[in-house]
Amino acid sequence: MPNSAGKRFKPTKYIPVSTAATLLVGSTTLFFVFTCPWLMKVISPAVPLYNGLVFLFVLANFSMATFMDPGIYPRADEDEDKDDDFRAPLYKNVEIKGIQVRMKWCATCHFYRPPRCSHCSVCDNCVEDFDHHCPWVNNCIGRRNYRYFFLFLLSLSVHMVGVFSFGLIFVLHHREKLGGLHTTVTMVVMCIAGLFFIPVMGLTGFHMVLVARGRTTNEQVTGKFRGGVNPFTKGCCGNVEYVLCSPLAPRYVLDPRKRPHVKIQPPFIRPDLSDQQITIKVSDNGMHSTITNSKSKSSIDGLDGKETQPPLPPKADRYNQLKGQLTSSEGTTCTKRQQSSLSGKTHPSTPAMYRFKPSFGTMPKVHYHTAGEKIVMPDGRKNSAILEEGVRSDYRSEPNLDLPEYANAPLHRTFQSSPHQLDADPTNSRTLSLKQGHHRPEKGQLQVLPPQTVASTAYKGVFSPNTLSNRNGSLSYDSLLNPSISPASANECMAHRGMPSMGFHSPYLPTKMCHIRESEIHRQQVAQTYSPVMPPRGLGRQSPHLRDREPSPVRYDNLSQTIMASIQERKEKEEREKRQMLHGRSQTHIYVQDSGVFDAGYGPPANASFLDGPRGHGSRGPTPPAYGGSRDNLMGVGLANYGQRTPVLRHAGTTLGRAPRTSSTSLHTDHSSSNSSQGRAPSHEGSYRSPTHKPRSPAMPRSPSYSHQKLSYISAHDRTDSPRETMKVNGQMDCHLSPSRHGNVKKVTGVGGTTYEISV
Amino acid sequence: MAETHSLQDLQQPAVSSKVFVQRDYSSGTICKFQTKFPSELESRMDKQQFEETMQTLNNLYAEAEKLGGKSYLEGCLACLTAYTIFLCMETHYEKVLKKIAKYIKDQNEKIYAPRGLLLTDPIERGLRVVEITIFEDRNIGSGR
Repeated sequence: MPNSAGKRFKPTKYIPVSTAATLLVGSTTLFFVFTCPWLMKVISPAVPLYNGLVFLFVLANFSMATFMDPGIYPRADEDEDKDDDFRAPLYKNVEIKGIQVRMKWCATCHFYRPPRCSHCSVCDNCVEDFDHHCPWVNNCIGRRNYRYFFLFLLSLSVHMVGVFSFGLIFVLHHREKLGGLHTTVTMVVMCIAGLFFIPVMGLTGFHMVLVARGRTTNEQVTGKFRGGVNPFTKGCCGNVEYVLCSPLAPRYVLDPRKRPHVKIQPPFIRPDLSDQQITIKVSDNGMHSTITNSKSKSSIDGLDGKETQPPLPPKADRYNQLKGQLTSSEGTTCTKRQQSSLSGKTHPSTPAMYRFKPSFGTMPKVHYHTAGEKIVMPDGRKNSAILEEGVRSDYRSEPNLDLPEYANAPLHRTFQSSPHQLDADPTNSRTLSLKQGHHRPEKGQLQVLPPQTVASTAYKGVFSPNTLSNRNGSLSYDSLLNPSISPASANECMAHRGMPSMGFHSPYLPTKMCHIRESEIHRQQVAQTYSPVMPPRGLGRQSPHLRDREPSPVRYDNLSQTIMASIQERKEKEEREKRQMLHGRSQTHIYVQDSGVFDAGYGPPANASFLDGPRGHGSRGPTPPAYGGSRDNLMGVGLANYGQRTPVLRHAGTTLGRAPRTSSTSLHTDHSSSNSSQGRAPSHEGSYRSPTHKPRSPAMPRSPSYSHQKLSYISAHDRTDSPRETMKVNGQMDCHLSPSRHGNVKKVTGVGGTTYEISV
Repeated sequence: MAETHSLQDLQQPAVSSKVFVQRDYSSGTICKFQTKFPSELESRMDKQQFEETMQTLNNLYAEAEKLGGKSYLEGCLACLTAYTIFLCMETHYEKVLKKIAKYIKDQNEKIYAPRGLLLTDPIERGLRVVEITIFEDRNIGSGR
């Protein structure tokens, strides 16, 4: 009778299995009938019992091997293969544990055969973990029934040995009656057993080796792993365990069962696209300018507001200075923008200046795109997520716009610029800087960043942990700036000290650094300015001081995990580098590294706290892990991130320090025009970092104000070996004076939890 | 007929396309699906949600295939009873498969169906792909 429609009944394929079954059952039955009674009598009743059990086991395994579904794959639906069928390549490569394995297209089953799967021509099915088609059981041996097949072989071998031995004993005891029925039968049985002994034992041994090596017959015979590495092996013990003890695999060829009916009716929910929209805004530089203009007034107001607070006044000064500086350079716009950003977005947690809190999340996106570039959001989801972090509330509006610029510029710079830090994070920095780089001439180090747009991820990582301390997405530019500054400043300091050209560009404040580097004088000046803030630092360090002074307002808590992680790494790297470099230096720059969220005066705090570096440095940790990574990283990252995250930038802008930064132009402008808006941050950073940014210096004295305000700054730079200020990104600003290296450093905990040391 | 029904109202939304999430073989032949968010779904659902679903599925399959005490016991028992135990009792894997089916049904009802998507249990495809059916987002009332 036909097996199935369309299949011819082929009796021949049943011959082997019939033969095998007959031989097995027949012989054993004869054995039991003719040999066992005597054995039971003479030797022990256990003999037939033992043989019986073994035979039962053999039968069970034989049945399972014969009748069990080996792991047949059902044919693929038409829907699944409609793309593949016509233009699909024959092979598809997949990497398994580092080894390339080829998956072949099965024309019969219409899918790419999973690894170890093969199509059995006899059964006309693809079988999972195909071993071979066994004619003796008339079945494919595959994943599901290999164990039974193997046990069948083993038990059959044992059974055959047992039967042969006991038969031999019987015959030896009946030598005189060899013609007798029982003896004859026993001898026949022995012959059969002896005959099949060699093939069965051979096969058993073969499969024992296969099991130990974790290969299938198919693989062994076709020589797939000859001389190569088997990606499917789990070690000898693991392989044996897998064969014998793994759970029974499920059947794939199932009876059509009723699918649970799920009602699907439109209208359908769509995901929230606001973030994406926001992103776009951010990337659009044009908007920055708009924002700036409108905000200029507010920024001023913000400044005023700031001034009311103790830390503000210094900041205000700084800001003005920054503004001035900005104006001088391309930063004019930036300044304005910063101002606007500062004051425009009113963020509850931030002081007037830091009203605009770019969401860190957005930063990454922003970063990667040069000013004016639309952020495409390559990361799609990721970016959205990031944006979401901070932008939600405030960032839909302009502030975000600023961020991109800001973020880009400073952040990129920071990453790249600091040779110590950024270099370590090529990816992040690249992404950031390149984008920004467009806008500002990359100076040397800044160049590092390749224009990768998508670096955002890396970037994000950098920023997230450190830069964003404000969950609301307010990125305190300061934090960005600062961290970047710190490393940058550190470098600068170093440069100052001895190096004519600052090779060190804090990633965060690439532009700034550039500027700084370019003009030593500036630096000097800046140093001077900062010095009051961070006296102990030593003027030489000015740039670092500058950087330190201005804790980047970037908050890391808004950043995504990845960004945070990368920020952390970066920080660590930077920290290390910084430590090495700045080991002897004043730790000022280091202080800056901690990026905390400083709502307000990040200027001074930036200086101060960063300078305190030592304090915070070690504690990247206060902020999220990423943050805690290395201050340096944070700094660099933060700055970079800062740039990206408009919100952060905004913050930065708010800080007085920011203003100078923008003014610092050289650095910031370099960063990117985009930064200009965000620019505030970069500018801040610049101001912080570069001595040229005078505004910073005034900010320095204002450090106390910083402390009060939430400044998130990226304390990425780990400038100094000092543990650095603990920038707690989480934003609480607790002012506590921590003995800075220089001695006059006061530790302030920013809003974002960043603790920065401000040299008072 | 007392009333006429618009076909649109009565029918299930039409299938717009299908997305197939392939297996992730990077760790070997264990059952694991790629968690990468397919681009076709970008406009229909959140990435996080999808990744969470896939991750849970992967975890469930890992649990099903785990070589642990339970699987040993099951094997031994089966051996001792000459595999007749399989006639009475369902295996560990099958139990987890039921759990997975329930989870998928749950996800479909709560998350995917409201978004016009439908997850298909991969067991129906031989654990090779996770099929996600995207239904046409046809607003009620909007003419076809």
